[in-house]
Amino acid sequence: MGQGEQGSGVAPSPPLRMGTVAKAWRAVLVVALTLLFCAGSVVGDDHWWPFSPWRMFSTSQAATGSVWSTGIEVRTADAPDEWVHASLTPENVGVNRAEVEGRIPQIEADPARLGTLARSHARLRPDAPAWVGLRVVRHKIVVVDRVPTGEVETDVLAEWSQP
Amino acid sequence: MSIGSRLAGWLFEPVPLARVAVLRVLVFAFVIVDVLLLHTSGWYHGHADPVWYEPLVMGEVLHLPPASVLLVEVLKWGCVVAAALALSGRAPRLLGWTVAVCWVWYQYVAFSYGKVDHDRADFVVALALLPTVGLAHLSDRRRSEAAGFALRAVQLAAIATYFLSAWAKIRFGGFEWVNSATMVRAVVRRGTPWAEWLLDVPWTLHSFQWVLMAAELTAPVIFLLSERWRRRAVGAWFVFHAMTYAAITIAFWPHLVMMLAFLPLEEYADRLRARTRSFVQRRVRSGAAPPGASTPASRPGAGVG
Repeated sequence: MGQGEQGSGVAPSPPLRMGTVAKAWRAVLVVALTLLFCAGSVVGDDHWWPFSPWRMFSTSQAATGSVWSTGIEVRTADAPDEWVHASLTPENVGVNRAEVEGRIPQIEADPARLGTLARSHARLRPDAPAWVGLRVVRHKIVVVDRVPTGEVETDVLAEWSQP
Repeated sequence: MSIGSRLAGWLFEPVPLARVAVLRVLVFAFVIVDVLLLHTSGWYHGHADPVWYEPLVMGEVLHLPPASVLLVEVLKWGCVVAAALALSGRAPRLLGWTVAVCWVWYQYVAFSYGKVDHDRADFVVALALLPTVGLAHLSDRRRSEAAGFALRAVQLAAIATYFLSAWAKIRFGGFEWVNSATMVRAVVRRGTPWAEWLLDVPWTLHSFQWVLMAAELTAPVIFLLSERWRRRAVGAWFVFHAMTYAAITIAFWPHLVMMLAFLPLEEYADRLRARTRSFVQRRVRSGAAPPGASTPASRPGAGVG
């Protein structure tokens, strides 16, 4: 079906045409983009962006199991003995939750990496109390037959303290 | 007529230049709002330690560096200034492609720290191809093949987003995706107060997954619909995205702008102008004009030329 002008009531003037070369390179471009987007979807991964697969919400979550949610807890210079929840957002630490969730193996292998989050926080929030400790926690929210039971298990995955 | 020439006729079907001009205004205005308000994670990566940098293929090919405060500031304000200038309609290729480079690089900075947002790839097509039309005035109703091609490419990319995201669900989630608890997971992790009741009525989210998969797989049908039904289909997608935003505060903003390429934007712009004009005239007649303002009838020389 057409995408042209509808119902203007005015006799249309002749359309502005393009030459063969102008049409040819545009057609080739469309074919190339189609191939790149399709290849990204068939064999590519996120690193192919902008030709990566459109995989928002594409993974299957078991109807009975646990939903994982990762967060951080910190000890501040004001209360160094107490762990408190902190936002794992770009505004607070420069990176977001998914970016940390994707690096759990590296963080577990080298917890000192968490110190960079404390330093980014100090730069982004210079007026907030400094962080002297930071740990990554994973909350497992139990789901049975697609319904959360209210049960939550929490694991500490990695911990860093200011030397 | 051969299939090839019918396909070419469809790909290059002329549309009014004004439609591209209106879409460009919306695209460039969106870019400004996007980098300043909507998608700011790239800016914060300027403050993240380079240890978190994970180059994408684009970055490896082009040797793009990790983010720095200077880089993100240049890209952010480069987007804003170039898009603001591009709104004028002047130098459409130079300014349009400057916006494209700045915006794509800014997105690269956002996505090269371990998390790619999957809703922003199609907008790259709009930024790259809308400048190819050249000059297009908001009131230019001449129909143009170049304009038709740019809009068709934007439409194809927008619809590919739906179809290929259904494919991704099958690829990564398997056919059992429709019976999984993926939407429960989304609502548990980031559900709004308006969506929490859905967790107590699990069939709602379960059936929604079937509807979503069916809608995404059949999205290309939009190209076969009549004008009236095509507008309705676009409206239905907007309703879907509004519901998604209300439930889990996720909106595919650039993609929503792309979907506008299906609509007769120049007609909407005309109606908006007519309504604005009649509103102003009513205000003038009712004596609400600001002090010192003159009406066209009382101004010397009004209506001449």
